[in-house]
Amino acid sequence: MSKIGDFEIKNSTSKPVVSPGSFNSRMKKINLVTHGGLMLFALYLALPFMWIISTSLRLPKDSFSLPPTFWPTDFIVGNYLDVFLQVPFTAFILNSIKIAAIVVLGHIIISSMAAYAFSRIDFPGRNVVFIIFLAGLMIPGQVTIIPQFILLSKLNLVDTHASLILPALINPIGIFLIRQMMLTIPKTFDEAAFIDGANRFWVYYRVILPMAMPAIVVTSVMHFIATWNDFFRPLIFLNTYEKMTLPIGMTVLKGVFGTGNLSAILAGVTISLIPPLLIYILGQKYLVEGITMGGLKQ
Amino acid sequence: MHSKGRNTVVGFLFLLPAILTFGLFIGEPLIHALILSFTEYNVITPAKLIGWDNFKQFLNDDRLGLIYWNTFKFLIILVPMHMIAGLLLALGVSRILSNKWKYFYRTIFYFPVLVTTASVAIAWQFMFDFDFGVLNYLLGLMGINPVEWLTSPSWVYVSVAIFSLWKFVGNSFLFYLIGIQNIPKTLYEAAEIDGASSFQRLFKITLPLLTPTIFFVLITTMIGAIQIFDEPYLITNGGPLDASRTISLYIYELAFQNHTMGYASTVALSLFVIILIITIIQFKMSNRWVHYEQD
Repeated sequence: MSKIGDFEIKNSTSKPVVSPGSFNSRMKKINLVTHGGLMLFALYLALPFMWIISTSLRLPKDSFSLPPTFWPTDFIVGNYLDVFLQVPFTAFILNSIKIAAIVVLGHIIISSMAAYAFSRIDFPGRNVVFIIFLAGLMIPGQVTIIPQFILLSKLNLVDTHASLILPALINPIGIFLIRQMMLTIPKTFDEAAFIDGANRFWVYYRVILPMAMPAIVVTSVMHFIATWNDFFRPLIFLNTYEKMTLPIGMTVLKGVFGTGNLSAILAGVTISLIPPLLIYILGQKYLVEGITMGGLKQ
Repeated sequence: MHSKGRNTVVGFLFLLPAILTFGLFIGEPLIHALILSFTEYNVITPAKLIGWDNFKQFLNDDRLGLIYWNTFKFLIILVPMHMIAGLLLALGVSRILSNKWKYFYRTIFYFPVLVTTASVAIAWQFMFDFDFGVLNYLLGLMGINPVEWLTSPSWVYVSVAIFSLWKFVGNSFLFYLIGIQNIPKTLYEAAEIDGASSFQRLFKITLPLLTPTIFFVLITTMIGAIQIFDEPYLITNGGPLDASRTISLYIYELAFQNHTMGYASTVALSLFVIILIITIIQFKMSNRWVHYEQD
């Protein structure tokens, strides 16, 4: 793990030159055992995906039959068409994208403005509000969802996308994360801008917000995934097929094909893997940076 | 440059959207839930005050004992499982020296966290099937009798655990991995010069310095496990009978299937109180074992 060890291992693996010494061979053995264990676990995580993809390409009549395959043997793309033809699957995906996009944008605006106030404006009552927000994190969704449902049904918003969007706009975690980042930006940046005659909003929008971008990206990615995957709220709020989001739509898909065509269900599952994969590829670097920065230190 | 009064106005203007949404969707609902717990309300007819009746029903609810016990079982299975498996994987990956392999493992271990829970849970449900499921087929190859993954009251816990580990272990893994990477390398170099074994380095450097991360993972997985909904809903639907019904599933049933909003609020508040108590105890006890770095 040290620099020395690093160097030696690289040497011993890249060149077949045998460097005797018990330390080296011991490290190699440890490395093999570690790789073996990790590989086994990786297999446990990967095999279901491979089963899902290969089964989604089987003929519907073979979809339930054994033995299972983990590598595609057939290439029946018709299952993928069935998903779109027999279920409003396009609508599910578009609804999910639309809701997640609006939620993330709104959440970032609300959270970054609050984070700016919490980190850079000194005024009485600031800490009290901040503590109340953090305390709100402990209130489980099961408590708030019932009054939210009552409120939204009074506003005639049940079975609309607004019922999913509005309550998801606020999450104190996002405020906390962006505030932590903004606290690290030196105050001299604000002061220089004020001397140039800028007002608070300009400083927030043009100076601080761009500098807090890593925190904004990680908050966006995390909130996007949470909204995209949310199952509980759409289950409660949505009834109309055409308005459903992907997670709840998956249960519709299962209901339609559940007894006859497993391949079509798994084709739907496979399609649903694509957006998270894209997000992951785009956001992985920031996600890791963001968690590092998110302040696990006190 | 900025007067105090002006700062207050501007400060609250910046906070306004957050305060409004927080008040409307977190603050007001909490107070409303408190009031609802003293009423009988089915959304259609106006709420009726019934005093402590919901709380009496809460104490006499025959199903509640089993349901809270189920929730507790999930807690004591899932929390240690995620804490330990995530830590082992992170320690393993941090030993890997090649960056390419590190990236490979990190990607594979974290990817399931991102995928839509409902999609993969449905796929797993088919894999758990008694007759044509992949798992029983593989067991059969090894000469092991098929298992009632979804229909036996005790095996359903194993099934949910297998799924939960597969889907969410990447979460604790990533937090641990980043925590380990943030430990200053100089500490290990110094330890090596002093002749510390890898065992000593693990227990004297890595784990003590990782305690803030361990604490964070403990709190978040506990709060997540106690509210567990998606996994039992999608894989076992609380069954067989009430064998895997958790408190969140029960609240859903009471509020949105039976439309007993008042009693559902009472049960939900009991969950809030339990989460509050667990969080307070954890924070109180954390002084004893969590070491924060002094900057």
